[in-house]
Amino acid sequence: MTRDQWTDRLSEYLDGDLGIAERAALEAHVASCPACEAILAELRRVVARAQAIDDQPPTTDLWPAIAQQIGVSSGGEPHGVVSLAARRARRRLSFTVPQLAAAAAVLLLLGSGGAYLTLQRGTSPVPPLPAPIAGARTGRGPTTTLVGWEKTRAKYDVAVAELESALEQGRKSGRLDSATVRVLDQSLVTIDSAIVQARRALAADPGSVYLNQHLADTMRRKLELLRRASAFAPART
Amino acid sequence: MELTTPGVATLSRDPDEPARGAGDAETADVALAASGDGRAFERLYRAHVARVHSLARRMIGFDVADDVTQDVFVRAWTKLGTFRGEAAFGTWLHRLAINVILARRTSLGTERGRYHDGADVLDAVPSRPVVNDLSLDFQEAIGRLPDGAREVFVLHDLEGYKHEEIASMLGIVPGTSKSQLHHARMTLRKHLDR
Ligand SMILES: [Zn+2]
Repeated sequence: MTRDQWTDRLSEYLDGDLGIAERAALEAHVASCPACEAILAELRRVVARAQAIDDQPPTTDLWPAIAQQIGVSSGGEPHGVVSLAARRARRRLSFTVPQLAAAAAVLLLLGSGGAYLTLQRGTSPVPPLPAPIAGARTGRGPTTTLVGWEKTRAKYDVAVAELESALEQGRKSGRLDSATVRVLDQSLVTIDSAIVQARRALAADPGSVYLNQHLADTMRRKLELLRRASAFAPART
Repeated sequence: MELTTPGVATLSRDPDEPARGAGDAETADVALAASGDGRAFERLYRAHVARVHSLARRMIGFDVADDVTQDVFVRAWTKLGTFRGEAAFGTWLHRLAINVILARRTSLGTERGRYHDGADVLDAVPSRPVVNDLSLDFQEAIGRLPDGAREVFVLHDLEGYKHEEIASMLGIVPGTSKSQLHHARMTLRKHLDR
């Protein structure tokens, strides 16, 4: 095999990684160097061959082992998480009717709850969360709970519960147009999902500063979104 | 009372809202799995296991691919909370798989002490003796490349990552990624017809 100073630039040429001048010089060389021309053709075939390789599944089904490790049944029903899933489904339903309004309670609660979460977010590291909502994870539940975070969470839960109650009442009053409600609805579902995800992830990794931060951020976003909704539909109460 | 807050989420579109369209079923499964639905997660597993397992096979070898693949999905289950919907779930999972593989590679490398790079010859791993280099078919030959060359080749030519991304993943400079790729391709030329 004949190699020269251009041989080891052929892949870069193939990938378009050479500058204009180098590319022109290489092309001029290849035009007069059969060895480089042949190697270049082979390199092209290597790349094409690589790209044509199909993905193949494992020869044995790995799902039963995975299901066992994550604590769900490989046959079907998830263990210990049904109540959480059901809760999620219920909550989604409660927001599908296109009538939303916020109450004065919204503003009041957000004035304290939102600020509290923002403050919490500013401190680093954020303390670990208490156990996940449905106690779904097996064996590895966090053991550390800090009073400050507990209080924040409790405030958050109260705030959200009252907001949702207020919005539930408000949806009967027809204050918001349906398009706005749909967008709000989708956003809340998305944020809710993110909160559940973050809580679940925290259950597995309770010490994660990132996850704690992420959860605090997500909860704050939800409060902010609800608060924004209140600007669209001033409360009557 | 002041109603607006700086940086408040807008109603027009939440940044975390997944893209609408063909991926809706998968998006729904991701949300369901995140809320603890094992069956939704199994559907995600079925849809993506071939890609993850193939990546593991090519990157780290057949003998540990099953184990690594399990590990990837177990971690995906626990880390769904960090999936923010900015990329497709498959992309997120693929990147997670690479992280798992690279972490595993490091521990295996320490155990076996067989990590070296720069060579453009096929790597003769003691536990997998090479009978005759040129008898290897193309995919087997990929598996016998030196680790550095194989990883770069798989990530670049099979998985489509750019040199800058690969360099960042592997902790090397892009120039090394480029030269490793070229070494790998030059070696694999000999196995094109097998
Ligand atoms: Zn030449």
